[in-house]
Amino acid sequence: MTAVTTEPGRAPSVPRDAHVTFLGELRAEWIKFTAVRSTPWILGVTVLVMIGIAALSAWSFSFLLDNPEETGGAAAFPADFDWAAQAAGAGYIMAQIVVAVLGVMVVTGEYTTGQIRSTLAAVPRRLPVLAAKGVVVTIASFVTGLLGVALGALVALPLLSSHDITLDLSRDGTLLSLLGAPLYLVAVALFSLGVGTMLRHTAGGIAVAVLIFFVLPMIWPNLAPDFFQDTSPYLPSIAGARLMEGVDPDAVLSPWQGYGVMLAWAALALLGGAVLLRRRDA
Amino acid sequence: MIEAVDLTKRYGEKLAVDSVSFTVRPGRVTGFLGPNGAGKSTTMRMILGLDRPTAGRVTVNGKQYADHRAPLLEVGALLEAKAVHTGSSARDHLRALAATHGIGRKRVEEVIELTGLTDVAHKRVGGFSLGMGQRLGIAAAMLGDPKTLVLDEPVNGLDPEGVKWVRTMVRYLAGEGRTVFLSSHLMSEMAITADDLVVIGRGRIITTGTVQDIITASTTGSVRVRSPRAGELAETLRRDGVTISSSEPDRLDVTGIDAPAIGELAAQRGIPLHELTPVSASLEEAFMTLTAGEVEYHSEAVGDPDTRQMQEAGR
Repeated sequence: MTAVTTEPGRAPSVPRDAHVTFLGELRAEWIKFTAVRSTPWILGVTVLVMIGIAALSAWSFSFLLDNPEETGGAAAFPADFDWAAQAAGAGYIMAQIVVAVLGVMVVTGEYTTGQIRSTLAAVPRRLPVLAAKGVVVTIASFVTGLLGVALGALVALPLLSSHDITLDLSRDGTLLSLLGAPLYLVAVALFSLGVGTMLRHTAGGIAVAVLIFFVLPMIWPNLAPDFFQDTSPYLPSIAGARLMEGVDPDAVLSPWQGYGVMLAWAALALLGGAVLLRRRDA
Repeated sequence: MIEAVDLTKRYGEKLAVDSVSFTVRPGRVTGFLGPNGAGKSTTMRMILGLDRPTAGRVTVNGKQYADHRAPLLEVGALLEAKAVHTGSSARDHLRALAATHGIGRKRVEEVIELTGLTDVAHKRVGGFSLGMGQRLGIAAAMLGDPKTLVLDEPVNGLDPEGVKWVRTMVRYLAGEGRTVFLSSHLMSEMAITADDLVVIGRGRIITTGTVQDIITASTTGSVRVRSPRAGELAETLRRDGVTISSSEPDRLDVTGIDAPAIGELAAQRGIPLHELTPVSASLEEAFMTLTAGEVEYHSEAVGDPDTRQMQEAGR
């Protein structure tokens, strides 16, 4: 039998003024996030996939420029098309699925396992929990996206060098295109966190996130009635993707306007999650 | 100190907790006793602010749980075995909880040692047995060295050594002046562990008081008597307020008169006695008496034609 070592009064190892702080809750969420072994794995694989897609895109651009008579060459692209930046960031399309799953599971994983009761008993005001999770997924998705794009560029550039294509960060819109993928992924993660908090179910949350970021942008703009044509620029994924497309005078939204619309969607999802988290029984 | 006043919780049509009021005092172990589905867990979740009461209120150490600046230092809770992410290790789980309050690594290691989890602390909780999960839950409850402990079925799934360990620990903690509130559907365990009882059935408080008072109030002690002339003795004892039953030819179970009086009467008549034993009722029997009709799921043979006929005849 283990001896009971607690002394009367407070144990000296528990600080007398210990109390809940947001920084403490943030550390707690970070510990939980990294404690689950699959998380670093999934994010590492995501970076690898982004690098792979960057290489594939660069190879395909190179093929296209090498064979103008078959492919039409560069004629089909805008004159100022930023080949290197576009290749480097192309992997966001796959990465967004991973980030969406992660954003959902950061909260639904706690409901499935019962962890949420331990979490909310420690921080009974609840909203700091959601806020801290938001900060954690923001950091994780931004860093993943940034690594993916940066390493993607390193792999893509040698494949494009034969066409005198370089990455000029001083060029108008290039830096924005490169930062676009990590910023876009942050919005995906936050939106998914909100959806996960509302639904509390992993499968349902992932289904909704994939529907919105993957399926909707493929179907919505192709529906015939004007309503769909007119509203499609405001879908979260299409609006957010403006960041990576660079300056386009024909587009309804500027890159930053588009990202603003996407963040507004994320804020709406988080607001819904926050209201329900406060109200519902855990 | 836990104070519940008219605490009520309704899930749709079902009234899970029905206007419950009770006080749990410091320095004592208070048992929360009731059959499964009686509303024990719901009440405990409301104490911890996890479920919102439909009506009424409950405070811990003078405040609602969520209003405490340092909840883990006020109340340590074990709500269900393994309220832990299955992919996390026991140590990481405790580190994360401790981090919310700025409690350091040293205390985490202390509670790991205190609960005997040292050898498994690095392992994933998903592989834990029920007993290890309970120990981890108790470790989490002890993190903030709290003034009050709320433990839902703490001995559930523990081996006999673990049960004894919990019993010793809660007695010790109460001895230090802390408030200990633990639920169980095991009356025998409560009889040994608890000082006070709050007995609940179908969401309503059936009785509250000390363990001894509840046993005394809800049962009458009987005396078991064996004699070769049992029939003659029964005639002698028969008077107002005395009930006698007999399950064997030479045996009487007598209530309403105590053992010395029976012995003296028998001696006066020259009736030999082979046994004269006072039988005190157990908490188990007291509980059965109290909750008769309050148990939500009676075990009955629904498929038994006799039962069905009786039920139909009764309509």
